[in-house]
Amino acid sequence: MTHEEFLEKFQDVLQTEEPLGMDTVLEDLVEWDSLARMATVAFLDSDFGVGATFEDFVEMRTVADVARKAGVAS
Amino acid sequence: MTSSDGERLFLVTGASSGIGRGIALRLSATGARVIALGRDADRLGEVVRECGCPERMHPEIRDLAGEIEQLPGYVRSLKEKYGKLHGMVSCAGVSEIRPLQVLKYGDCKRIFDINYFAPLMLAKGLLDRRHNVGRGTSLVFIASIEAHLADKGMASYAGSKAALVASVRSISREVAASGIRVNAISPGDILTPMTAKVEGMRNDRSHFYPLGFGTVDDVAALALFLLSDDARWITGQNYILDGGHP
Repeated sequence: MTHEEFLEKFQDVLQTEEPLGMDTVLEDLVEWDSLARMATVAFLDSDFGVGATFEDFVEMRTVADVARKAGVAS
Repeated sequence: MTSSDGERLFLVTGASSGIGRGIALRLSATGARVIALGRDADRLGEVVRECGCPERMHPEIRDLAGEIEQLPGYVRSLKEKYGKLHGMVSCAGVSEIRPLQVLKYGDCKRIFDINYFAPLMLAKGLLDRRHNVGRGTSLVFIASIEAHLADKGMASYAGSKAALVASVRSISREVAASGIRVNAISPGDILTPMTAKVEGMRNDRSHFYPLGFGTVDDVAALALFLLSDDARWITGQNYILDGGHP
């Protein structure tokens, strides 16, 4: 999956009107609430086979962090 | 409904006949715009003519049993065509009596596709915050009294409607913080042009209903209330509408 494809999919997960960038800070998004966190955990599991918990969001602060967790970015 | 219904836009599935048709017509009569979704172009055309306000009734022809995975994207296309939605009434469904002796996996799958998975995927599309108006958005799913009675021969149908009722509760919790409401109605036997032709329904089941069989208007009245702001504190509920069925 390319970065662009990841960003497009993750934008759908977060249901945000604003296009995401890798440097987007999750906490800066008004859509970043508990349901968005739950959806992100499910997204990592269903699309990438990666397990994550809410505690992981202490480390995952940006979209790039989520992409790295998914194995899309290095 | 409110005086600003002329600005409201609702999606009604199964709008070419029965309960869906009745709800689409009553909604448009309040001044709301309605995306009337159904499979039959001719009958949808009749709905548009009958409403007397073609500028408020937008027919959309689609078989919900096909390409279910594409339904969220389809809702996005409706939003781009007509604007952000204020709600949906999911009426499309299929009912079949299938005792276990003749029950086939293919039948079960088809019933669940139409009665459960299609409404769920439509809800996914409509509840995408980019596609609805946010606070005040209301979804109503037409389930069935069979979700609770589960008569003989209804294992698959009853299961599909019970699944829908359970999902309504879960979804309502996901979106409540956004001021969006999601409810279900479980009607008993409703007289429609189709069921009125079934003499067996009149003869065999009338004693179940002290208030008589239900009508499309009975269901539509409750659906319109649940869509309205008068129901602003109601979500995650399933209303059994059964004319006193014991």
